[in-house]
Amino acid sequence: MIPEVLGRLAVWLMQADVGLGLAVLVGLSMSLSHLFSLVANRLTPRQIAVQLVLDGLVLALALLLGILFNILMIKALTGAVVHPSELLDKLGAALIPGLFYCFVAAPYISDLIATVIWFLIHLNVVTLLHARLDLPYEQALVMATPGFVVALLLVMVLFHQGWQASYRRLASELLPESPV
Amino acid sequence: MAPLLAVRSHLGWLRRLHQLLLWLVLLTGLITLLVFRRADPGLLATLSGRNLTTMLQTLLVLVLLLIPISGVYSVISQFAFWNGWLGGLTPPAELFGDDPDESSSPCFLIYLDGIHQSERDHPPRVAAFLEALEQRLPVDVKLIKGLETYTLTPSRLADDTGSQWFWRRLFSLQEHHPNTLVSVVCSFLVQANNVIKVGISSDRRYGPILNYELALKVAKKLAEQGFCPPSDDTRGPVELVLLGYSGGGEMAMGMADYLRRLCRCPVRIITCCGVFSGNQLLEQVGAITMVVGSRDPVAAFGRIAYPGRSPLLPLSNWNRAVARGQVQRLNITGLNHNGSNGPFADRYREAVIQAIVSQLSSHEPVSTT
Repeated sequence: MIPEVLGRLAVWLMQADVGLGLAVLVGLSMSLSHLFSLVANRLTPRQIAVQLVLDGLVLALALLLGILFNILMIKALTGAVVHPSELLDKLGAALIPGLFYCFVAAPYISDLIATVIWFLIHLNVVTLLHARLDLPYEQALVMATPGFVVALLLVMVLFHQGWQASYRRLASELLPESPV
Repeated sequence: MAPLLAVRSHLGWLRRLHQLLLWLVLLTGLITLLVFRRADPGLLATLSGRNLTTMLQTLLVLVLLLIPISGVYSVISQFAFWNGWLGGLTPPAELFGDDPDESSSPCFLIYLDGIHQSERDHPPRVAAFLEALEQRLPVDVKLIKGLETYTLTPSRLADDTGSQWFWRRLFSLQEHHPNTLVSVVCSFLVQANNVIKVGISSDRRYGPILNYELALKVAKKLAEQGFCPPSDDTRGPVELVLLGYSGGGEMAMGMADYLRRLCRCPVRIITCCGVFSGNQLLEQVGAITMVVGSRDPVAAFGRIAYPGRSPLLPLSNWNRAVARGQVQRLNITGLNHNGSNGPFADRYREAVIQAIVSQLSSHEPVSTT
């Protein structure tokens, strides 16, 4: 049952592949989710612009590191050498759930939405590794996990800054602390 | 005349901007839906509503899109207020008058209603409870009621800029539609809106802002009631006590620290069947008393829904407050969240009032079960 569902998912992902443009759209969606908290915290346009450039750089770095780790794992476990652009071509469609990352801006359920999206991306990578490189699911999971964890940690660090800034911003809005 | 026209024109422009933001959010949802459909032509067929399964799938997709879109819209309203587009964001220094009102009470008990609140007036059962509570309060305690806990401005939900057309139709349907199901659905939508506000309050990104805005609203209400921040030479001790029922407990926790800073006096919290995250800054807040029922599934759900209250995270704000001995729990056996066994019902009203009054009468939390 599960392999059948994953097989159908692989076919769907391969049909839905729209190339590198997808990575750009996913990045924009992720930045949009971040943009809400930056605007909410009354950052100046310049601060927001700097933050969005930083978002773009770190997200690109997360993607590149994820691919690099996958290449290294493929080399270590199968001996095959895959070019980065070739791997991105093969696995790019795995990012499709990331198009919905802008909904992480929604309050309260944001963590749940983010968790589901990251889980789906990881599942897609494993499925595509199985479908494109003809690897068993277990091996595909072992290959995909280190790169996924590194990318996830980078994104978490990047988006973690937003709420700390909100407290600092608010503190400056309020009256000076008085002894109570 | 000319300045008046200029203000009207400015307000009209702001209203249009606010509505534009609403449409932008809806458009974003529509675009993502289209992208989703375009990605796989097969999905187009599943959205056609041919059979029950397809209809359920469609409904699920719509709900999954609607929930975050509603949340984002709520946040946008909050931004509009925060940026001063809706007015009412008073600078803290201008909140209170210079001359203290000598007849003002030394203690204010501020009631924050649960998520059922849609109007300034409380439902009859809650109003009766508050009336009974007011009669039992110590003479130096003044009860502040009728606060719209889930709107930022002092206006009703039906006057909310940008969505008033929706809420007015909804309230009209809720009150006048002959079909009970329609009334129930409308009531559910009002509660869903308030649940989203509770969610925003507990969200680490937007919570501080909403909580600050609410604290500002409460401070303005206190100023209207003659409250003035205590100074060294003129006044005795002044204290604020936030009493939050259900989701009002979250709002109380959220705004307590900001209210303490704005009003420059100690703030205590009493929650009644409270559902709250405990994510907020609680270190400088006074005692927190939880009046809980032994048969309250909603309050119990709060402990599961909010990981910060789990004992597995000992460094969370809530668990650190518990470790400091700041939190007191008062159990009332048999009390449910609402209905005939709820805190506003005749059966448990006295016990709940007794628990609240006993806390107000003492400077330190009193433990009773």
